Amino acid sequence: MNTLYSNSTVVPSGNANPINDHDDAGERGFDVYRAYQRALADEDISPPLAAIHSLTELVTSSNAGTMFELVRALNDGAETLKKRVPNPIGLTAGCELFIGFVTLFPHESASFSELKREIVHQGKSYTSQAIKFRTKIAELALGFIKDDSVILTHSYSRVVTQALLHAHTRKRISVYVTEARPRGLGLKTYGLLTAAGIPCTVVLDSAVAYVMDQVDFVLVGSEAVVESGGLINAVGSNQMAIIAKAENKPFYALAESYKFHRLFPLSQHDLPTHNSGILSFPHSMNRSATTQTRASPRLTDDVPDGSASASLPQRTMTLEQMNRNPDVDYTRPDLISLVFSDVGVLTPEGVSQYLVGMFAGL
Amino acid sequence: MSSASPSNGVVQNDPSQSRPQKQMTKAERRELQEKQRAAKAAKATAGSQSGGPAAKPPHSVAPTSQIPRKSTKGAETPSQGRGSLAAGSSGTSTRTTKDSRVAITEEAGGRSRGLRIFSHFALQKPASYVPKGNVHPAIVHLGLMFAEFRICGANARCIATLSVFKRVIQDYTTPPDNTLSRHLITHLSVQIGHLVSARPMSVTMGNAIRQLKLEISGSDIDLPEQDAKDALCNKIDNYIRDRIIIADQVIQETAMKNIHDGDVVLTYARSSVVQKVLLEAWAEGTRFSVIVVDSRPMLEGKRLLSVLAAASIPCTYLLLPALSAVISEVSIVLIGAHSIHSNGAVFSRAGTALVAMMAKQHSVPVVVCCETYKFSEGVRLDSFTKNELAPPGDPFLSLPSSRSKTTQNQSNLEILDPLYDLTPPSSITAVVTEAGVIPPDSISSIPLALGRLI
Repeated sequence: MNTLYSNSTVVPSGNANPINDHDDAGERGFDVYRAYQRALADEDISPPLAAIHSLTELVTSSNAGTMFELVRALNDGAETLKKRVPNPIGLTAGCELFIGFVTLFPHESASFSELKREIVHQGKSYTSQAIKFRTKIAELALGFIKDDSVILTHSYSRVVTQALLHAHTRKRISVYVTEARPRGLGLKTYGLLTAAGIPCTVVLDSAVAYVMDQVDFVLVGSEAVVESGGLINAVGSNQMAIIAKAENKPFYALAESYKFHRLFPLSQHDLPTHNSGILSFPHSMNRSATTQTRASPRLTDDVPDGSASASLPQRTMTLEQMNRNPDVDYTRPDLISLVFSDVGVLTPEGVSQYLVGMFAGL
Repeated sequence: MSSASPSNGVVQNDPSQSRPQKQMTKAERRELQEKQRAAKAAKATAGSQSGGPAAKPPHSVAPTSQIPRKSTKGAETPSQGRGSLAAGSSGTSTRTTKDSRVAITEEAGGRSRGLRIFSHFALQKPASYVPKGNVHPAIVHLGLMFAEFRICGANARCIATLSVFKRVIQDYTTPPDNTLSRHLITHLSVQIGHLVSARPMSVTMGNAIRQLKLEISGSDIDLPEQDAKDALCNKIDNYIRDRIIIADQVIQETAMKNIHDGDVVLTYARSSVVQKVLLEAWAEGTRFSVIVVDSRPMLEGKRLLSVLAAASIPCTYLLLPALSAVISEVSIVLIGAHSIHSNGAVFSRAGTALVAMMAKQHSVPVVVCCETYKFSEGVRLDSFTKNELAPPGDPFLSLPSSRSKTTQNQSNLEILDPLYDLTPPSSITAVVTEAGVIPPDSISSIPLALGRLI
């Protein structure tokens, strides 16, 4: 799960906005975006939870007099967050969950301010409970991990790391993790797992097919799990799923229930993160010539071996080239074997049934 | 002897009548039939005239209703299995002469055993257009419209049926010693029987009628009759409004989001919902183009094409066999449904399955637009177990008139024309309902989630 999007100063995606913009939520001085960033500062909080947190704070500071006004303020706040953050999928899921909760909240309290207090209380208790969801998922996943399993995972995900660390306390596992260019978050996973004593090797993104038949199953985290039962995760997950399917290896996704989203992408370009810059060709040859001279090496250096920490690659993409690449991709439900979440172990069809049960009444 | 052709319906006094039937030639047996039929026609005319306005030209009606009895008496003329009922019911159409229509049904009735497949839903009896029982004239009119495919399409038929039922309910009076909640249902069943004999009921009509019967049986006994009737008509209006009109609006708004500028949208035949989606998307300013795929014999796509072209949407029109030529250019396929089943299979106009499967092969997303009231309990795995065959002849006038006769009079040729087919859930990407966009495999969870029985 990528958390760097909102925190890092280098925001490679095409539609990034500067962090300190003038137009904020419009709530009498309350900046929902800053609240969101404050919440994200905690390592353990993922974007959807941070969104719920910031919206809860919005309720506290709001002086809406009726439920209608409150919901409208919340929707405005959610819109602001979506505009500010380059990859809004995760936080959208959290926003919709919270706004749905507020809308359906029974209006039986004595006064409106008491109602607001109750909502805030529920919101805070949800966020504190939600941290424990990962433990629950780790426990569920344990049942599927046999002794001496070889697991392949992608990039960095808090829930996967927690699940693997938990499994390590009971069973012997070894892990392959992909480097996940260009952000290289796989190295973070490598560091954490190795520190805990799990045998771990970093694998090139292009070597996934090479390693797949050595692997017992694939375990990935998620940014969002969508209505179709498909998965939105760091780019490279779809590739991994297709290869796993081709080699008949199970592909498991770990996702907390607040990441379930009612989006239904029909294809890769149907994602909200897709913009016209992605995979576009450069406008003029001049520009591409200059980028090439910047990136061209002088030596014929060797390709680094499997462990990326041994030597840094000489050639890297330029920022502009990285901007033409997607950050997340969509994995179709027929490639996913099971989705592990705090509401249980679901098949991709089960995800839709859960979502319909939760949101269809709205 | 065999010079008397069946197409002129002339009865001849035939001395061959004295021979036992087995030894007669086919033509002779046919003559015998016609003679006997004409004799009965005279008797039946008096009887059918009391059937009210439904027995329009009584002599064309009565002979056709005699045919099944004749044919089951052992006529071994070659059979043309299906739609004898429809042939009989369209007996009142003025497109063909009374005589040729009579001849066709006579052949049709006799040939029912020849159709090897789909004979299980080839209706053996022609529609007796003598309505049985106390049938409201509006229902008779509706039955005719159905049989002639003037009203066609799941939504249209359901709305028409419900609207006519409102009239029937208003014109109904409870007989003494009876309650509205019990007797009205019996009365309606008679009407429904007549409609079913015109054309088999659609799933939408079935669901709506089931809901209506539920409402009737739940109506308060103590209410004065007019109030009860008004309440029922109100409920019918609400049903139409909530589950069809408003559902369509929600589907329009949701499905519109999947159409982007520059897209090429492919659709098949004519779905009322897809038509609304396309018109609305265009009105909102999205600039896309449409490919309308059509097929014989109904050629419903032509109507859709004229509506879209009138709205200035750039359209391409082609027939189903040419689909593979354009499929690589298509961005999204939008189709409608007659009904959708628990396993996610979509029952729709024949040819839809081909379009969906072809699109799936080329990784084009297939989106089905379907209201929740079209949901049908039960799992359907193929188009074979339950289907409907088009009536014989050329009810859709899709062939030039000179050709239509020759295809009928050949004894070795049977035309098989199913109206529906089943698209498996694996070929469908998403189903847009008023409850949201759902993957086809999860369709069965919708009714429960919405707190409904159907």
